[in-house]
Amino acid sequence: MDFTVIANNFSYFMVGAWPNGPLGGAALTVILSVISAIAAAVIGFILGIALAMTRGAWHTGLLLFLGFFRAIPVIMLIFWMYFLLPILLDINVPGTGTVVVALSLIGGSYLAHSVHAGIRSLSVGQWQAGAALGLTRRQVLWSIILPQALPIMVPSFINQWVSLIKDTSLAYVIGVGELSFVATQVSNREMVFPTEIFLFVALLYFAFCSLLEFGANRLALRYR
Amino acid sequence: MKKLRIASLLTLALLSTLAHADRLDDIKKAGVLRVAAFDSNPPFGFVDAQSKQITGLDVDYAKELAAKLKVKLELVPTNPANRIPLLTANKVDIVLANFTITEERAKQVNFSIPYFASGQQFIAKKGTLTSPDQIGKLRIGVDKGTTNEIVLREKFPTATLVAYDDTPFAFTALRNGNVQAVTQDGPKLIALLANAPDKDKYEIPPFSVSDDLIGAGIAKGETRLTEFVNQTLRELESSGKAQKIYDAWFGPATKTPLKRIFKIGDK
Repeated sequence: MDFTVIANNFSYFMVGAWPNGPLGGAALTVILSVISAIAAAVIGFILGIALAMTRGAWHTGLLLFLGFFRAIPVIMLIFWMYFLLPILLDINVPGTGTVVVALSLIGGSYLAHSVHAGIRSLSVGQWQAGAALGLTRRQVLWSIILPQALPIMVPSFINQWVSLIKDTSLAYVIGVGELSFVATQVSNREMVFPTEIFLFVALLYFAFCSLLEFGANRLALRYR
Repeated sequence: MKKLRIASLLTLALLSTLAHADRLDDIKKAGVLRVAAFDSNPPFGFVDAQSKQITGLDVDYAKELAAKLKVKLELVPTNPANRIPLLTANKVDIVLANFTITEERAKQVNFSIPYFASGQQFIAKKGTLTSPDQIGKLRIGVDKGTTNEIVLREKFPTATLVAYDDTPFAFTALRNGNVQAVTQDGPKLIALLANAPDKDKYEIPPFSVSDDLIGAGIAKGETRLTEFVNQTLRELESSGKAQKIYDAWFGPATKTPLKRIFKIGDK
């Protein structure tokens, strides 16, 4: 194996054509991942809590909404939003924005169920005890339930974030120049080094995911 | 009845805004010409190793169009299958990506006059393919969403087709033995072979199964923009610039010398 192809194209893998063109490569993968991860977490939290606190029609509506986004393949949502929204609704979302919105909605939908499950994992007795002390449901949730439920949810969040980092590679379908897209461009030009190039790309994804796992676990330990 | 009238008025209003919207004016107003080009198909469109920018024959035409409009050029990388969606979804103004003019496609997009001509050919390991009669018995790699795929299905229905996202993928499949031949436009295959480090193993048999004309793709109904592109192409030919662009990529001094068989304006 000959890894000079990596060295020769290193900056293209890392930042794309930047600063003489749009930022791309690994840097764009990180940015897409971070923004989508934060947005997915916020959506997951809000909708997960809503799932735990609502009953009846609202609850059913929410379940249908979440079910919809959990059922669509990420690549299809990205493709639809990019090509169909401008035709149907005259909304023109740029490629990177499309990817962030799609990953946030889908990641958020998965996380909502994790948050809901975390809240549900605590016994009903705690809610009743809180109510007996004269606390509102919101107060019980905020000061009794969530502090206990959050550490339970950490593994689910890490799982979802890791899968989200890898899903950014699906941005290729609409030509967003993230890591795997620029790697494909280089591989197509050099032709005979796909093994070297994609081993290197796999290593980068592994590094990103491990770093995230390590960081998130340390953070979780501190708050235990 | 009243509802119907409101509905028809609304439709009319909508149609009239559509009719008024003119892409040529929009481009001038925005100061940017958005062109979709290939990023993995030398010498039509590919990422240059040094400059890291998309360059190629198609890109040179895009630069000329932008220069004439006095606007900035923004290149959007595309694969073959995304070319029509990019136009219909208004993500780009013009597609310059080795876009073969066909009747079927012309129902969905406008085409400029042709600026390049090529024939559909094959690349195979040396000795596997010598005459068109053999095609029907082979496994052949094609690019998704290309005319090559359609031609092959019509003319050689017994051939086994395997569709790939882009030509380099298909060539990798050929290299690994997943397919026995890959079909594409001749000039593209010649460039593919010229850039391959293991070029001695392959050959492009000297026959073609179709004649293709390549044009610029423009959103359906954009008559003024289409006319602008046509006029610019004719000017590029008469000023000799079209010949210069051709020579830069297919001239005798290049890796892929190819005789120019088609001039803009030829029938």
